[in-house]
Amino acid sequence: MEIPYTVTARKDTGLFNSKVGIWLFLASEVMLFGGLFSGYVFLRIYADYPWPERALPIVPGLINTFVLIGSSVTVVFAWAALKMREWRKFQIYMGITIACAGIFMVLKGIEYKAKLEHQAVRMDDFAIIEGHAHYAVVGDDGQISHADTKTKAKKLSDSGAKPFKANAILFKPETIDFSVARAHQPWVEAVLEQAAKRKSKLVTAEDLFLYGSIRDYAGTEQEPLSSKGRTNAETELVAKYANAEEKAGHTFGERSLYIPAGTELSYDLVKQAREVYVSGRSHNAIARTAILKANWKKVKAARPEDKYWEQAPDAKIDAATQLEEQFDSEGNCISGSKVVSVVSTLSFQMSPPQPIVIDRGWVKRPVKAQEGKAELRDDTSFNAGSAEDSAPGLLNSPLILAVDAIDFRWMVQKAEEAGKDPLEVIEKSWIFSEENKHAKYYKKIWKNHKARIAELEKELLEGYGRDKEGNAKRVPTETDRYRITWQDLVHYARVDQHEGRPPKPSDKEYADLRPKFWDGFAGPNHKDEEIHELHAFPELEIPHQKVSLQSMFTPKWNTYYAVYFTITGLHGLHVIGGAIVLGYYLFFSKGLYRRNPEWLANRVEVGGLFWHFVDLVWIFLFPILYLM
Amino acid sequence: MADTPAEIQKAKKLYLLIGMALFVFTVVTVAVATVPWLDFGGHGFDSKDAIIGLLIATFKATLVASIFMHLNHEKKTIYVVLLISAVMGVVLMFLTGWAFTDPIEYGNTVEGDKFYNPEQTTTSD
Repeated sequence: MEIPYTVTARKDTGLFNSKVGIWLFLASEVMLFGGLFSGYVFLRIYADYPWPERALPIVPGLINTFVLIGSSVTVVFAWAALKMREWRKFQIYMGITIACAGIFMVLKGIEYKAKLEHQAVRMDDFAIIEGHAHYAVVGDDGQISHADTKTKAKKLSDSGAKPFKANAILFKPETIDFSVARAHQPWVEAVLEQAAKRKSKLVTAEDLFLYGSIRDYAGTEQEPLSSKGRTNAETELVAKYANAEEKAGHTFGERSLYIPAGTELSYDLVKQAREVYVSGRSHNAIARTAILKANWKKVKAARPEDKYWEQAPDAKIDAATQLEEQFDSEGNCISGSKVVSVVSTLSFQMSPPQPIVIDRGWVKRPVKAQEGKAELRDDTSFNAGSAEDSAPGLLNSPLILAVDAIDFRWMVQKAEEAGKDPLEVIEKSWIFSEENKHAKYYKKIWKNHKARIAELEKELLEGYGRDKEGNAKRVPTETDRYRITWQDLVHYARVDQHEGRPPKPSDKEYADLRPKFWDGFAGPNHKDEEIHELHAFPELEIPHQKVSLQSMFTPKWNTYYAVYFTITGLHGLHVIGGAIVLGYYLFFSKGLYRRNPEWLANRVEVGGLFWHFVDLVWIFLFPILYLM
Repeated sequence: MADTPAEIQKAKKLYLLIGMALFVFTVVTVAVATVPWLDFGGHGFDSKDAIIGLLIATFKATLVASIFMHLNHEKKTIYVVLLISAVMGVVLMFLTGWAFTDPIEYGNTVEGDKFYNPEQTTTSD
């Protein structure tokens, strides 16, 4: 059967089949992106932190806009070429379109890479510091050394230890507790690897008996289940197997596990313990339900005239009382020991204690020295020793950065909420205090910044005058005042080190020294020699206890990056998908062109419609994400 | 929509023109956001800049939809589908407004007190 309207349009609707399809699809795409834009509006309006407006470099976004618009023109030209039956021209235009998609994705990739390499820190006083983390390396002696690049860091270690980003925590634990249920394999293995590298072992300190259910180890009809029986079984087992090897991995039954003292940590062991744990939990759930049912029966039998809500308080499962064993007249255990105590953590001793590098992304909350422990998000806990000569726990692990932006806007917001003078709060903050050994750089930068903003304020007043109430019509924004960008840092460094007399903000030379608009893409970065010489991106050593949140520029950092990655990521997938379809027309449709060129033209039109839609979404994304 | 060779030749000129217009308006969008004397409203980004930016974007999107996507030549069927889509799209923008009625978020405000009563909350073990 021939399907009608694949090539020619229906008279009444003016549409061929696939065109109806693509328009319905695009209508649903409007909903998809509409929902995300709506999410953006919501997150921005209700943000409880200063929104990072105009946070992205404009130039790559602008180039990408040109690229997409250009490709929209060429795709419609490719369609026109097919309509005119010009195969060669079609190939050229379609080729350009696909090349444009490639350029777009490469630029996007560069942009993403920059985000993922950029370190951001929120300090406990709400100062935001952005920059590039230094690299660190742990020597064989357990000492940490820092360098600003990976190669330099590598040279600091004799044995060729692997450098890591200096945004990690160094912790020397006495014991490490792993959550049986949640221990995350890569983290367990990372800990093991580091312990091995530093010639240390992780072993259990005492015999451990894990029960997955009662019946497995002691429950026979002759011998009722009881904790006494359980203890006996344990004692017997310890006596029976004299050496540790024999004991290791011994099970009491299918779902129980015996871990003797001195067993070394392995993820397999954690996994076995997890199986027993899960089994124990489900055993307990069943046992508790049974106990509850039995209790209900008893209460109902005792007071049949009461309503059920009057009976209910007496029929509760009280785990504490039920653990008391109860036997019936024949000596069978009817309740209590039916519930096993599940082991949810496995504790290992580190001998000898050695520093472990813990990624800051792994920890649940900032690690504090006085707490003596570091908790990971998988509930692993690193514990310091309590004795005088035991492992100290947290070692000095500052976050060292080459700073390329300082943002006080959040601090100002908090100061204003508390009714304090923002400038005073800023100037009394840690970054300008004597505790910061680099404070002199930052004082100089801040002095320069205030001078520039004062000049800007003056210029705006002179340029736009005052309103009827006598207020300046235009004033510097919060961002101008309280955010010091990398352009500012480079600018101030150039001014300070200008040959001869440093220009004043009112001089023409002063403005000339500022990085230009187009530097926004391939401008000076922290590896730049000029920047190094000028110390334009000053170093900052933030004590780890001052760090309340650290992240790369990823969704973890704030909702802006969450929505940025979601929308641009989805849009990027559309670009890739569109390019694949258009590529199919270009490379695999010569046959169809020979047989039925009009049909191919229709296909290209439909593919083109999708492509224009992708362009259309970007037309909104560009101003929203880059310019607002 | 262009179907004969002559019409297509004519349409190609239009496409090129629209392409140029889109380039120009992109530059305009960037200019109003970065050039001080083109800065609407106060100094720096504010709601007026947002409105101008979105108006230009909407205009550009209209050009793409009507010329490149041939919507100016389509018949009623497509318009009906897209009208529904557009209405729903606008509705979506306001859906998040319901967050105002969230009793947890606004539990500490006078308005929220109507919804939130700590004594009524139940805790389970």
